[in-house]
Amino acid sequence: MMQYPQISIPPRSEHLWRYTPWRRIHPTKVEEMPMADPINFSTGEDSVMDDSSEIGRSFIHSISKVCNLVTIDNEHLELDLRCSGHICAGELNLVSSGKSSLIIRVSGDAGWTGLRVIGEVKGTLSVALINDLAEDGHLLRCEDWTVGRDSTLEISTLSVGGILNKSDIRIDLKLNGAEVRTGIASNGHKSRHDDHHIEIQHSVGHTNSSLVMHAACGGASHSVGTGLLTICEGADGSDAGQVFRNLLLSEKARAEAIPELEVLADDVKAAHGAASAPVDSEQIHYLASRGLNFEEASTLIVEGFLMDAFRQVRNKEVVETLRTRLLVHLECLIKG
Amino acid sequence: MSGEEARDAVGDYRYGFHDPENSTIRFDKGLSEQVVRDISELKEEPQWMTDIRVKAYRRFIEMPMPTWGNCGMLNQIDFDSVTYFLRSSKGTENNWDDVPEDIKRTFERLGIPEAEQKWLGGVTAQYESEAVYHSVREDLEEQGVLFLDMDSGLKKFPDIVKKYFCTVVPASDNKFSALNTAVWSGGSFIYVPKGVHVEMPVQAYFRINAKNMGQFERTLIIADEGSSINYVEGCTAPTYSTESLHSAVVELIAMEGAKIRYSTVQNWSANVYNLVTKRGIAYKDATIEWVDGNIGSKLTMKYPSVILKGEGAHAEVISVAYAGKGQHQDAGAKVHHLAPNTTSNILSKSISKNGGRSSYRGMLQVSPKAHGCRSKVVCDALMLDADSQSDTYPTMEVGNPTADLEHEASVSKVSNDQLFYLMSRGHSEEEAMGMIVNGFFEPFTRELPMEYAVELNRLLELEMEGAIG
Repeated sequence: MMQYPQISIPPRSEHLWRYTPWRRIHPTKVEEMPMADPINFSTGEDSVMDDSSEIGRSFIHSISKVCNLVTIDNEHLELDLRCSGHICAGELNLVSSGKSSLIIRVSGDAGWTGLRVIGEVKGTLSVALINDLAEDGHLLRCEDWTVGRDSTLEISTLSVGGILNKSDIRIDLKLNGAEVRTGIASNGHKSRHDDHHIEIQHSVGHTNSSLVMHAACGGASHSVGTGLLTICEGADGSDAGQVFRNLLLSEKARAEAIPELEVLADDVKAAHGAASAPVDSEQIHYLASRGLNFEEASTLIVEGFLMDAFRQVRNKEVVETLRTRLLVHLECLIKG
Repeated sequence: MSGEEARDAVGDYRYGFHDPENSTIRFDKGLSEQVVRDISELKEEPQWMTDIRVKAYRRFIEMPMPTWGNCGMLNQIDFDSVTYFLRSSKGTENNWDDVPEDIKRTFERLGIPEAEQKWLGGVTAQYESEAVYHSVREDLEEQGVLFLDMDSGLKKFPDIVKKYFCTVVPASDNKFSALNTAVWSGGSFIYVPKGVHVEMPVQAYFRINAKNMGQFERTLIIADEGSSINYVEGCTAPTYSTESLHSAVVELIAMEGAKIRYSTVQNWSANVYNLVTKRGIAYKDATIEWVDGNIGSKLTMKYPSVILKGEGAHAEVISVAYAGKGQHQDAGAKVHHLAPNTTSNILSKSISKNGGRSSYRGMLQVSPKAHGCRSKVVCDALMLDADSQSDTYPTMEVGNPTADLEHEASVSKVSNDQLFYLMSRGHSEEEAMGMIVNGFFEPFTRELPMEYAVELNRLLELEMEGAIG
């Protein structure tokens, strides 16, 4: 397998790299392999992970000095990832069984953070990642998930931290009865750039997936959502859907959505949608007539809009954690 | 591939006949700067056009092949085995009787003269590289409508052509627009004066007859302020064991308040690469409509585009694609909202059968200055068997907070309930499937002139033969 320096730089014609090219997310010059401090994991044990032929994963693997294994079995776990130093990186191996839930909080003042996650789900896992990095932090996040037979993965992301973020999440539904429900909420402010790429592959039939991404973009922020939903040959009986919605809050904000669909089986349900719109003035008017000022009213609408991305997450504890963090974030924005 | 294998590959294609080639001028295969200069010299073009061609040729050589789309099929194109210019008659005739007998026979088999008499305002028939027949109704000429083949347009109205040529689709836009600009020949040139409404559609018919032929027509339509025109084009080619290349460029310019509708029913045989760049600019309150049907060809890559440059401009794209065995229909639409209060609607429908692949590739872009834009995109795909493939690759780029955009897409198979219902009314399974397919394409066919719609339905029925079992 080729290691990072041998892997060619991906062209911008690949939609994964169209809006956040590799040169932009690499912490230094692309040919360099900088020294990185390890991510400080609050729990887990030492482990090892294989290299990858994908450029982002291979890069994180090459500079990481730590690989952490977390095993969850029928429990709720909160995992803090403290990131500090100029460049910080780490790998996380997650193995879940039974009915479990996990909150991963990524925080700290690192200038650049690289996080690679490999997860394996047997049973039901509801996992939420909260990007709570410092305002000027950069984040490259690469995740690969495998969902076992008759297993369910709920994967949620609340992205409110950092200035430049790129997430590449890939989920393989390899066995019958596997299901994934993905919810992503991103709040853009100032010049925040938040790029999420999600690939869901239905390798076999009778697998279900749903993806909802909501981005509220204020200031001069830029949100990117690209999805690739593949239903492989013979994966009959699959049901897949993805929706990208953008709420644009200011003149300088931008949002892109590319929900791609590749279907190679005929007895399937596959749909996708994307929408972009401003805040509804009637909703603002309604709230203003109840005594809220414009800022409070639009914050309430943004909260409702972003939390709606987690509509399909059934684990209430996870949803409440996400809501609490979002409210704190929105309150901080109002107070400046 | 033997002739028999080729026929098997292209299936039951009723326009697959070919006539003996009686060319008056045929260039050797392959492309060089000299070939480009020779085409220009042969056509006695002004120097500025020769310069554009040569510059475009150099761009074509420099530009790499696209790295997206069906690269496997694209990389099979052998540019050295293509004939870039072939003249079949001495000139463009205005009288049907003067058209060479063999070419006349071909177009009569395709029903062109009959259609002209019945319901067309004008006709251009292009055979290989150049138009062989051209006519326009007298009343349109009297109103000042210019409808010529592109070569004659350049000769007679060089100033208009110079003003607009390559302004909508520059040669450097993509590799195939560069190729077309270098070796273009034929196509239509239309100018509709201010306030003139061309009530009856005008038609162009493109036919490739020779083997390994490349057809590179160039069409330029300018609708001046407050005018309107409905242009229809049809395309066929014979079934050969070797492949042909069709790489056209179409430029539309709709001035303030003008309306252009451009309808295409592409029915190339399944050994033709159909790589076309179609784009229009709509100024204030203008409307551009692309009605695009893709049935034939081996690989189609075509994304009709509209640049909404003036306030209140509107774009409408309705496209259907049918991908059968060995075919990849990579079609879609692009709309760029550059001005405030612009609107667009895109409706795309595709069917994949017998291992065919249909893809929708779209782009919807709203610039920061385009306040109050609205757009709706709907893509529906129907898969008729498990061997086929259907993809959608839509892109939405929004730079203005007041834009209201929607995109929705779905992929499904023909429902057993619908089949059962129709079969319980006495239809065979094949008939029922044909009816469902025709119904699926109905939003497209209702936008076509009736004769085209009837023909399209017949073509679809033919394609559906043997779809069951």
